[in-house]
Amino acid sequence: MDPSLTFASGPAAPETLDLARLQFALTAGGHFLFVALTLGLATLVACLQTRATLSGSVLHARMVRFWGQLYVINYAVGIVTGIVMEFQFGLSWSGLTHYAGDVFGASMALETVVAFFVESTFLGLWIFGWHRFNRWVHLALIWVVTLTAYASAYWILVANGFLNNPVGYRESGGRLVIGDAAAVFTNPSTLLAFGHIVAGALLTAGFFMAGVSAYHLFKRSPEWEFFGRSLRIGVFVSLPALFVAAAFGGVQFTVMQPMKEAVFSSKAAEVARLQADMVARFGPGDYVPSEAWTRGAGILMLLAFALMMYLCIAGFVLACFKRTVYRFRLWHLALMAAVPLPYVAVISGWVFREAGRQPWVVYGLLKTEDAVSSVSPGAMRTSLIVFTSLFALLAAVNVWLLVRHARVGPVDRGLGHDERAAERDPADSLAAASY
Amino acid sequence: MDTSTLETLAVGLLAFFAAGYFVLGGADIGTGMLAPYLGRGDGERRLVLTSFAPFFLGNEVWLVATAGLLIGCFPELEGELLSGQFAVVVPLLAGWVVRDAGLWLRGRAGGSWWRAGCDTAVVCGSWAVALAWGWLLAALFTGSADTTASGPVALLTALAVAALFAAHGLGFAAMRLTGDPYARARVLVGRGGRPWQSFALTGALMAALPLSAGVALPLTESAADGTTLAFLVPALLVVTPLLLAVQAWTWHTFRHRVTRPSYI
Repeated sequence: MDPSLTFASGPAAPETLDLARLQFALTAGGHFLFVALTLGLATLVACLQTRATLSGSVLHARMVRFWGQLYVINYAVGIVTGIVMEFQFGLSWSGLTHYAGDVFGASMALETVVAFFVESTFLGLWIFGWHRFNRWVHLALIWVVTLTAYASAYWILVANGFLNNPVGYRESGGRLVIGDAAAVFTNPSTLLAFGHIVAGALLTAGFFMAGVSAYHLFKRSPEWEFFGRSLRIGVFVSLPALFVAAAFGGVQFTVMQPMKEAVFSSKAAEVARLQADMVARFGPGDYVPSEAWTRGAGILMLLAFALMMYLCIAGFVLACFKRTVYRFRLWHLALMAAVPLPYVAVISGWVFREAGRQPWVVYGLLKTEDAVSSVSPGAMRTSLIVFTSLFALLAAVNVWLLVRHARVGPVDRGLGHDERAAERDPADSLAAASY
Repeated sequence: MDTSTLETLAVGLLAFFAAGYFVLGGADIGTGMLAPYLGRGDGERRLVLTSFAPFFLGNEVWLVATAGLLIGCFPELEGELLSGQFAVVVPLLAGWVVRDAGLWLRGRAGGSWWRAGCDTAVVCGSWAVALAWGWLLAALFTGSADTTASGPVALLTALAVAALFAAHGLGFAAMRLTGDPYARARVLVGRGGRPWQSFALTGALMAALPLSAGVALPLTESAADGTTLAFLVPALLVVTPLLLAVQAWTWHTFRHRVTRPSYI
């Protein structure tokens, strides 16, 4: 690439680049752990609430509150980690916003205003307006939250899809500008990833719901009907979600960068040919992504997929019989142990996608090393330590709270608790201990 | 629309969302800063946090939208500003994360130690955010987007801005609370004054903060390409009234003073 096209404010220290990459990888990966469950669980909670609203069933209303509480805990931590992501492009990667911001920034802007703004406002209404609205209005609120969460995912993937497969742009004055907006928004790299991620999120939520329910059935909880139904929902959602995720994942291989594909398949001759090709096009340099990360992550993802496939197919059959749903304790243990599997798959999937396109941040147009902000290594190290320790703490607290609330089971407090009743309860005026 | 009209509209949208954040988000940050003063003891403090609980998520998204507008309509300035102000933005974000985590998770585990820990996170996070804003604004007022402010002027600006956040939060608390916390929140307005007057005054000052900072920034010079703006600006103009309507609905729904705790 013509050096004059790179960010003007001078090169950053190589150490800053490594630290900035590590920070982005850890925070984006950490953020996505929350996203995966949030996106899937929101959908399941919205469906449960639809069922509860249509039928007026008390059991389903309790299911909305229990799974909704776990969703809200996870969502809250997801939001606060997402805040950091929003600002990280400008903080650490100002070369990217300088060179590609006109294309890349547009979808970020739409994500914040059109999707996240609406999602947050409606989520507040859903949580705090539990007994204030007509039940149909309250149902509409969770659907708006869910659909705008999908819109959010789409806009973020427009940005990410552009980085992986830049289309619909033209160069003007050493910067990228939008040439064809429709091409940017219908980038195959975006649409396929969107289908893959939505299905992956439902898979994560399905495994989560099945695993938590299995714990209670294993413990022979008196809430057998509640958790029997929940377990079935989780298992019956997981199988189709797994196949949809696999289908979108498989098709993505056909539109992937050739170098990533060659490194993943360990085709040495192809790698050498592509490297020579890129040297001829872009000048001297190493254009081969790390094989350990690319191939390692790809294989780990496929292993997790294979394990989940056996579990899902077997589970689909077992969940058809009442006896096995309530009594097959070995299966309950397997379901509990399998809760982390979708997380392993989604994170290794992201590592495969992002490590495999290196050394490019915008594929074929801007190298990662030319995108990093000219910040001192010391400042970047401080920020890395601050954010990763905060994220690690939040992730730990999230797991602890999810386990705690999941183990207690459905109780009449927390999300959806009727505050008007609390006011009449004299015990409540003594202390806030009942919350 | 020609490019200069689009640029002006983009600046207008940025100013609107930034001012919205300072007025609305500033209120709950200010109340969070003063939570130990307003609420003595666990129950009262929970009531103080409940005064802004249904709003804080809807308030802070004004800043998220401001950042989105900045990266979408002024990408070059966004990169320059955030990387140039790295040392200020990192504590601002860290404070924000800590504060929100405290708010969201306060009621989710038992034990007075847990709630006290979350209250500390809310208070310290709120102070960190307010002081970081003051420090950031000290640089922006002088038009230097790419270098952080330092020296006594920066310190005084940071303290003054934080004091304004606190005063704004106090006015908000006086309009929302009841009982003893309400009596404490009236300290600024006195016995005869009306809380909304103080809130309107601090609100106007809060809105003036980002606007006067924006005047010194090279906004139109760093606006995105005409194609991007021609696409983004109309879309945002269409959506903004809807966002306002939903926000107004939230404020209307939870307009009554708080007398009992809620989800937080």
